[in-house]
Amino acid sequence: MAILSLKNICFSYGITPVLENLSYDFEKGKMYCITGRSGAGKTTLLSLLSGLAAPTEGDILYNGDSIKKIDKYRLRSKYIGVIFQSFNLITKFTALENVTLSMDIAGIKGKDKKARALELLAEVGLDEDECNRRVLQLSGGQQQRVAIARALSCKPEIILADEPTGNLDTETQREIMEIFRSLAKKGKCVILVSHSPQVAEMCDETYALLRHSKKK
Amino acid sequence: MILYIIKNAFRCIGRSRGRNILIGIIVLAIALSACLGLSIRQAAENAKKETLEGMSVTATISFDRQSMMGNMLNEGENDEPPSFDRDAFSQMMGEASGLTLEEYKAYAEAPSVSGFYYTMSASLNGSDAFLPVTSDTPEEGSAADAPNGFSQGFGGKGGGRGQMMMGAQSDFSVEGVSSEEAMTAFMQGTASITRGENFDPLSDELNCIISEELATFNGLSVGDTVVLTNPNNEEELFTLAVVGIYNDTSANSDSFSMMGATSTDPANKIYMAYPALNGIIEVTAQNAATLTDENTGREYTTDIKSTLSATYSFKDLDSYYSFEEEVRELGLDDSYTVSSSDLESFEARMVPLNTLSQMAGYFLIVILIIGAIILIVLNIFNVRERKYEIGVLTAMGMKKGKVAAQFLTEIFAVTLAAVLLGAIIGGTVSVPVTNALLEGQVAQQTNRSDRIEESFGRGPGSGSITAPEGNAIPDDTGRERPQGGFKNLGAAAVDYITEIDSAMNITVVLQMLGIALLLTLISGAASMLFVMRYDPLKILANRD
Ligand SMILES: Nc1ncnc2c1ncn2[C@@H]1O[C@H](COP(=O)(O)OP(=O)(O)OP(=O)(O)O)[C@@H](O)[C@H]1O
Ligand SMILES: [Mg+2]
Repeated sequence: MAILSLKNICFSYGITPVLENLSYDFEKGKMYCITGRSGAGKTTLLSLLSGLAAPTEGDILYNGDSIKKIDKYRLRSKYIGVIFQSFNLITKFTALENVTLSMDIAGIKGKDKKARALELLAEVGLDEDECNRRVLQLSGGQQQRVAIARALSCKPEIILADEPTGNLDTETQREIMEIFRSLAKKGKCVILVSHSPQVAEMCDETYALLRHSKKK
Repeated sequence: MILYIIKNAFRCIGRSRGRNILIGIIVLAIALSACLGLSIRQAAENAKKETLEGMSVTATISFDRQSMMGNMLNEGENDEPPSFDRDAFSQMMGEASGLTLEEYKAYAEAPSVSGFYYTMSASLNGSDAFLPVTSDTPEEGSAADAPNGFSQGFGGKGGGRGQMMMGAQSDFSVEGVSSEEAMTAFMQGTASITRGENFDPLSDELNCIISEELATFNGLSVGDTVVLTNPNNEEELFTLAVVGIYNDTSANSDSFSMMGATSTDPANKIYMAYPALNGIIEVTAQNAATLTDENTGREYTTDIKSTLSATYSFKDLDSYYSFEEEVRELGLDDSYTVSSSDLESFEARMVPLNTLSQMAGYFLIVILIIGAIILIVLNIFNVRERKYEIGVLTAMGMKKGKVAAQFLTEIFAVTLAAVLLGAIIGGTVSVPVTNALLEGQVAQQTNRSDRIEESFGRGPGSGSITAPEGNAIPDDTGRERPQGGFKNLGAAAVDYITEIDSAMNITVVLQMLGIALLLTLISGAASMLFVMRYDPLKILANRD
């Protein structure tokens, strides 16, 4: 059964329609790629999936239940890990603090939070010195890795990533994609937004969004 | 759960030290001013309490002449204008102005009264061998050379008006006291017996004590006798034994010598026991004859008029306040008033401190309003500046309420730290600052009194004195009040409270905490509104 499914989703900012009548299914253990030209509404779709915005029409089902019935904060902090296009890190905090804060918000208990956060950050390729640096003092690629580590910190079943490889060189891009691959193998549902064909190639399924104005 | 919010709050404070120090400095300034205001108010409160605690209140019942005069005003009948019945008033004053001893004693039964004493005052004349101290130059020769003419001169004047205006023109003012307590000058330590001993206030033997000046003037010493006469009937003689001689340091003859009547000169005050003086008065009443004044044609009797004044003392102020109700229940009618000179002088002493306290109150309100406005603005800017952070936190799944709580914690921590620092600094400077301000107030108050004195043609300084520094700490207050007997002779000197010794206490600290909480809530509420209003999607989409 699909962990997330879109049922005839429509969305518009005010009167400008962005998404129209979308019906997609996302399953556990698979990696999806959402493609589309700039402005096609990829980020918007992710916002809907993470509960930051509600569809104007249609419904999103999480484990078969309407997303409307689920506490959005709980959804974002526990069930869905989001890697934003612009990272959305707390810039005055260190990489480590960003990750542990996310764990705190998710209500994860235990004293080994810090160790686990360091472990996660090491997995995405940050050394301890970088972990204890303020986010502002990290490069774009490093910030992206912090965002990934943060999204994984609460062990979500679904991972949404908006252009996770956009700022990375091909080498690092591959490393990151490997991480997502392994997460999918572990049974997570990974949804990536990318207009890179290489990324789309590595995914199990690709949904292409058409820019609304150009839709026939 | 809550812990991470607090942890986060402190982390955020640490990461934006500059801004928080700025907010802290502003709050510190507000807190310092507030602390000063509160301390001044507290100091006034403390001074009041300490003074009142140590103060034994005394009260007197007096005749309300004004209300009586109102009653005497006749409604104009047959188109006549309203007229004032002077004769009836005089008679009324003669009869009704004083309560009888029995009445006074009855009111002393009121449960709030802890002590009761009374004094009978009468004016008597001297005799050839016993003359009053006077600085007037007799018209015919010196007093010693022509005692007869001298006392006749006064007697003549006294004959005319002496009946109603109790012996203002006689030689001596004689006080018959019910107990040593009634000798207030001695109780307060301004007067003391220098030779001999005091009379027995319960005895009806004709013993008395006289002032040093009077003793020197007449060459008297302990054991001698003096002869007093009835000013209305020079045939009536009373022989008193001088058992003691006293010195009254508070009595300054200079200020009285100008004011006419010899008997009001404190040197001419003779103390004796109430039963003894009462005995004299009764004798004159028994022998009284009714005569007609040659000049005015008005009838008068030759008995000596006396006035009785009673003083009730109370353990504390509350007893004094209940006393009035009790005596009204015991039947004291409205033409009499209960008053306490202790309380009046205490209130006068408190004037500068109270004024300061009142000003401090207004100052406090203004400071808090301005402070609250500044903090609201600062916090709104703060929240707007951190809009993105709020967006991120909510996007990460942190509930808006928790974000708001974190912001509130930050504000509270900074405010609290600043307020505590303000309280510490305020605590150390409040006493000197309050004293400096108080000095200004006292000077102003003294100036005001001086101006009033000058308006009435009296020299500055006669109405008030500037208390020497350190002499007026609240503990030793309430005692130095103008003596009742001389009160009407000049404006009372007011010993203002000029210094406070402590202002900060736990009350002020608690009030400061309250202020910190209040400021946090007010400014926090403003930022909460912003936090709750923000939509993370929009914030994150609008990121620059
Ligand atoms: N808050 C907003 N209000 C109004 N219109 C918006 C808002 N956010 C996005 N849009 C519009 O919605 C459309 C879809 O935007 P979206 O950010 O989803 O595109 P995208 O596919 O993520 O593009 P890109 O690849 O450049 O990131 C765009 O035309 C954009 O102008
Ligand atoms: Mg986008």
